[in-house]
Amino acid sequence: MASNKKYWKSVEELKENSSIVEKLRQNEFVEDIPTDQFLGDKETLDSSATSRRDFLKYVGFTTAAASLAACEGPVIKSIPYVVKPDDVTPGVADYYATTIADGYDFANVLVKVREGRPIKIEPNKLAKINGSTNARVQASVLSLYDNNRLQNPRVNGDPVNWSTFDKEIASKINELKANSESIVFLTGTTASPTTNKLIQDYKSTYANVQHIAYDAISESAALDAYYAMHEKRALPDYDFSKADVIVSIGADFLADWQGGGFEVGYAKGRVPSHGKMSRHVQFESNMTLTGANADKRYIVKPSEQSLVLANIYNGLTGASSTKSTAADGGVKNVIKALKAAGSRAVVVTGLQDKNAQIIALAINDILKSETINHDAPKYIRSGSDTQVAQLLANMKAGKVGAIITYNTNPAYTLAGFAEALKKVKLSVAFAMNEDETASISQNVAAIPHYLESWGDVSIQKGQYGLMQPTINPLFNTRQFQDTLLKWIGSSQSYYDYIKTYWNTSVLKGKSWNQALHDGFVSSSISSVESSLVGENGSSENKINYASALSALASVKGSELELALYTKVGLGDGQMANNPWLQELPDPITRTTWDNYLLISRVDAEAKGLKNWTVSDGALNGDKVNLTVNGVTIANVPVYIQPGQAPGSVGLALGYGRAKGVNTNMIVGVNAYPLFQNFNAHQAISIEKTEGVHEFACVQLQHTIMGREDEITKETTLADFVSKPKEEWNAKAHVSQDHQLVEIDKVDLWEKFDDSLGTKFNLSIDLATCTGCAACVIACHAENNVPVVGKHEIRVSRDMHWLRIDRYYSSDMTVEKGKEEGIYGSGGFFDAQIQPSDNPEVAFQPVMCQHCDHAPCETVCPVAATSHGMQGQNQMAYNRCIGTRYCANNCPYKVRRFNWFKYFDNNEFDFNMNNDLGRMVLNPDVVVRSRGVMEKCSMCIQMTQATILKAKKEGRPVKDGEFETACSNACSTGAMVFGDVNDSESKVAHVKEDDRTFHLLEFVGTKPNVFYQLDVRNTNEA
Amino acid sequence: MKRVNQRSKILKLLLSSLTFILLFTIQISAQSGNAENGKKLYNANCAACHKLDARFVGPPLKGISEKRTKEWLVAWIKDNAALRASGDADAIAIFEEYNKITMTPYPNLSDQDIEDILAYTDDKPVEKAVEDKGVATAASLGIDSLQVVTGKKIFSANCAACHKLDAKLIGPALRNIADKRSDDWLKSWIKDNAALRTSGDADAIAIFDEYNGSPMTAFPQLKDADLEAIIAYTSHADILEVKKADTAASDNLAKVDPIPWATYLVILVLVLLAIWVYFISKNEFLKLMTTIALLLGVGYISYAAMMDIGVDQGYKPIQPIAFSHEIHAGDNKIDCEYCHSSAKHSKTSGIPSANVCMNCHKSISEYNGPVTDEKDKAFYDGEIQKIYDAIGWDKEKLAYIEGYEEKPIEWIRIHNLPDFAYYNHSQHVTVAGLECQTCHGPVEEMDEVEQFSPLTMGWCIECHKTTDLKVESNEYYAKIHEELSKKYGVEKVTVAQMGGRECGKCHY
Repeated sequence: MASNKKYWKSVEELKENSSIVEKLRQNEFVEDIPTDQFLGDKETLDSSATSRRDFLKYVGFTTAAASLAACEGPVIKSIPYVVKPDDVTPGVADYYATTIADGYDFANVLVKVREGRPIKIEPNKLAKINGSTNARVQASVLSLYDNNRLQNPRVNGDPVNWSTFDKEIASKINELKANSESIVFLTGTTASPTTNKLIQDYKSTYANVQHIAYDAISESAALDAYYAMHEKRALPDYDFSKADVIVSIGADFLADWQGGGFEVGYAKGRVPSHGKMSRHVQFESNMTLTGANADKRYIVKPSEQSLVLANIYNGLTGASSTKSTAADGGVKNVIKALKAAGSRAVVVTGLQDKNAQIIALAINDILKSETINHDAPKYIRSGSDTQVAQLLANMKAGKVGAIITYNTNPAYTLAGFAEALKKVKLSVAFAMNEDETASISQNVAAIPHYLESWGDVSIQKGQYGLMQPTINPLFNTRQFQDTLLKWIGSSQSYYDYIKTYWNTSVLKGKSWNQALHDGFVSSSISSVESSLVGENGSSENKINYASALSALASVKGSELELALYTKVGLGDGQMANNPWLQELPDPITRTTWDNYLLISRVDAEAKGLKNWTVSDGALNGDKVNLTVNGVTIANVPVYIQPGQAPGSVGLALGYGRAKGVNTNMIVGVNAYPLFQNFNAHQAISIEKTEGVHEFACVQLQHTIMGREDEITKETTLADFVSKPKEEWNAKAHVSQDHQLVEIDKVDLWEKFDDSLGTKFNLSIDLATCTGCAACVIACHAENNVPVVGKHEIRVSRDMHWLRIDRYYSSDMTVEKGKEEGIYGSGGFFDAQIQPSDNPEVAFQPVMCQHCDHAPCETVCPVAATSHGMQGQNQMAYNRCIGTRYCANNCPYKVRRFNWFKYFDNNEFDFNMNNDLGRMVLNPDVVVRSRGVMEKCSMCIQMTQATILKAKKEGRPVKDGEFETACSNACSTGAMVFGDVNDSESKVAHVKEDDRTFHLLEFVGTKPNVFYQLDVRNTNEA
Repeated sequence: MKRVNQRSKILKLLLSSLTFILLFTIQISAQSGNAENGKKLYNANCAACHKLDARFVGPPLKGISEKRTKEWLVAWIKDNAALRASGDADAIAIFEEYNKITMTPYPNLSDQDIEDILAYTDDKPVEKAVEDKGVATAASLGIDSLQVVTGKKIFSANCAACHKLDAKLIGPALRNIADKRSDDWLKSWIKDNAALRTSGDADAIAIFDEYNGSPMTAFPQLKDADLEAIIAYTSHADILEVKKADTAASDNLAKVDPIPWATYLVILVLVLLAIWVYFISKNEFLKLMTTIALLLGVGYISYAAMMDIGVDQGYKPIQPIAFSHEIHAGDNKIDCEYCHSSAKHSKTSGIPSANVCMNCHKSISEYNGPVTDEKDKAFYDGEIQKIYDAIGWDKEKLAYIEGYEEKPIEWIRIHNLPDFAYYNHSQHVTVAGLECQTCHGPVEEMDEVEQFSPLTMGWCIECHKTTDLKVESNEYYAKIHEELSKKYGVEKVTVAQMGGRECGKCHY
């Protein structure tokens, strides 16, 4: 391969003579068929009362009985509407534009609704801002059908009706009013102009009211810093497409940093054009999604990240650096690159420290960075740490009369809240589930899901999104806003309230129906007045950079530092009861159903902590007790993470939810008690404890027969620009008549005639794929992929049709080898396959490759899998008898076997086991039964629907109409799907690109999925 | 000796199974007679392109044997191209008249089959018989039946929107109205009732007031003859309302089939032969051969029986409402897609919601068609009432009941494709332009609907293999059809050649 790199998925693979790895390479299914489980051993069989003859009799009888019973078909009822709504045609999906705003994720989305049931979330591509969806937004539709949802309001734990509830609250409030005690609204970031106005309205009826915004994952430091410099309590909007040099110090901006959504701009700069692409340098301690995508990643402990930032600032201003760090060499290079790029550079930081944020903004000011648009700041986070801390103190002192929580779960996320709540006279929780806060509040108001609600959102100045119901409320719920309107004695509904507000303040003559149809409205920025929490007020007159800098330089480190982080799956933890997200493999660790302490190899060895792979390929690990500032969490599993900064450990927030979730969803540990003073970075001490933790980690599963070093391709920008294609993207060659010939010229089979009609191809650009996993969830939702649970994942029976392989490769490069003088010797090779402490990472989404010469098709004894004219490798489940030969013969290991019946089965108590959860199923895709093989169909139900639409309208299909669930969900545009026989189509265009390659090309399978290799910009300056 | 015993045991067993099989065969082979068989053949082979009463892809076929000789028809049906090639003028003329669309040849149909089909096409449809009988009755009573028939037509076109014969609708019931009012009064009222009222006619004003002051539409265009015809109809409508039972009775007679005695005779001979072979004959070779023949027979029949499992052809469940497609789609000629409106848009054809029923049944609250002993008027009226119970309609006040809790109608699904088979109505109805009857059979003749087609995969594939794509005026097919027809060297590409036989097109 181009860079002669060695790729590996797990450190296990680097051990010599690992029998497990060998076994995994040879066997598609690691475990032998557990015959002893159903047959028992010989002794048991002998002693059994059932003889072979008896057994055959039983079999005969049951077969006969079953056939007799089968003679009578079941009576199936078909119940039409009594009065059919005009806009519903059974069998035809309607799409509604709406907006998700759950306090953590904000996005303009399209909701696919079938027969009145929302079944899928898709990005609203009309919206220029925040029209993309991440994994959580994609999965949010399943939370609508959560059978743990609150179905009625409650007073002191008893279900009541709404009028009783209102009366109860009114009498309590009046009591408080008489004593003029304070009422506090504690909400997550609403970013909703009307909701905030409503709370203001409430203040007019009752004076002593306070509205405090609280974000569980706080961006308060960044908000305060921006306020100090720009007099607005908001977040700057970065457009990474305008940056040639991107430097991030601990900011995971491709995931959830400052509300996310930056990957769209970032990806634009990652495709080399005219020999140029952006250079991305990351300084961080945990291996994040962003770090994994960086061109150069420096491992830096959290406390040293402050120094790195200060040193970059000093370097740019010409001052000498205060303290040196391990990454000084990197800092020097970065300063050079930043100076060279000037205004086309940007520096961001994820340090939750006001000084750090101020310095980062100052650096961008010095650079005059074009990336930041100060005219349109973002309101995606608004929580204030100081206000929340003050509230907690007030609560503890008994100074708070009533606390009303909405869109937040402080009893879970905020240490000390549960205790302090006991001193509050009236507590009302607006909640969807009986979560930690609802279960300790006196009164619980059941609220609807966002797909059942009206609402509006403004996450950026001048940008407004509308939220509209896509289904009638499933339960006796009432929106927070409607309740507030009731409480202030208004007879208006929230819908009317929004409409009035929008007509007067937002639309300014534009059509309401059009806004509702589009789901959003963009206003000219100058005309916008914001009423968001805490935005108004005056700033400090002069920013003292010197003091900020010295504060930054004096940040104290400790021997072992903890960096708390969030995963792309669970985020802040509010969707912990969502099995799709729980089963989503983390892009970096490839582990599901868990959080764990990330630790570097060095530290693990020092503490005697181990990870090891057991004989079936599953991962086990030691456990530790960890202590932060007196708070101890016991029995946390340890995961040795390549690329973890020595002296630092990482732990994901959002796990360990225990209230309002199914028992099988209570996984991991709650790390929020460690999130002290709203700082993700803490000094920590750990000690090994007894016990072994069993991970459900998929990194060693579905390995492709030891062909890893052939599977993915990457090159450097320098090679890409200066060398011919043959050097960095060589065609595979095979031997024919003892001569090497290009694989395209050799064929075992006759050529598949693919020249006529539509031929589907899917292109995946590895340069812009960030590994965010939104496609995995989209595939889940579209194709009724079952959830199998932690144990099944552990034994390699995951069902994901689409997996995102993550490969590590050594940082030993040709250049580095030359520098160290080992290039060309055996030492260079050894260094390449050494388990690296700071490996480079490559992501590669792999689904069925839809080979024209599919190895699976030729081995199926019943022809259950066959090839279509349109290039799709088709799988007829009803024909499959489950021999699994196809999975054995698949070089890509993308076929999944249904070991069990995953619906209506208490062993798999997930959404397909209850009526409510099954409402999310796509009626156009069959739910597969036990004993059949399944796999990616290239969303044939979607392509067929597109073709049918064109046929009905009597026109050819236009380019861009064909989509798969994954390509539709991809926010960076890394996945392009279409008709490759249409020479005008985008996919036909990218297929001709020099970066195009096929997976395992030398096997000669002629796949209809192809990839564009990743390019790393290794130019230092 | 023991061995012999055992063998005779086996023989007995075989014999008994043979008898069983023979009886089974008798049951299978007991088929119905001429016209009945003709109807089946017609629906299976001809109905896709021909209708009885109207021109469709091909000409209407009712009474076709009066036009052409039987020999000509047989020749045409078996191989019309050959007939044309032979220079037959009629054949060429038809070919030209129907846009040079070649009719599919049916060499597989036997002469007997074709005779059966002709027997069916020559049959007199039911409604004509009713009318004929009515006319005969009228003549005996001295009524001008022609006038009554004309009157019915005019009444249906002009009056039926607001009037019924026997019940109050928007206006009063009109049966025997001539007994109440004079013909002249009626004529002037119908032509211009407002004028009549202004002239101070007391009756006219009273009626106006009784019906909430809503004026009746004036019909100045109706001639006196027309008006007389209407009045004649209101007075003598009963002559056209002959009980259906009268006509049904004669049909039933025809349906009783003569038992095929010949078949029984043959079977009896065979059974006797088998007994002779096993118990009397000493020819071991003959025994062996008979055994083999018997085993093959058993295998064949049991295979056929197994293949029938899960095939619910003829499934005719009792529905919660005795809705008759014969009355709606047959007698009243309501278009299928009026009620099954999503067939052209969606994968499902859609069972009409009760509000669609109400489009007509707001004004049709009682049944006035032919009745039988089993299903009398009260029965039908009760069935209509079930719609009102579902949706909450007060037929006295002619208004929906406020705050009524709707009760959905729980129909029994007849056509049940398994979940793993994807079928889309709009593909077949809108794109391919198929008639509903192609798969669902002559629904307009079914009082209770049954599953007409087997809905097996073989049945689907067979049609996909033999049906040409409908590519005319559909831009989608423009390029691909040209390319594919070149590839396969055919003029018209079949559905299967376009990929309609691939597993993944229906199974996902």
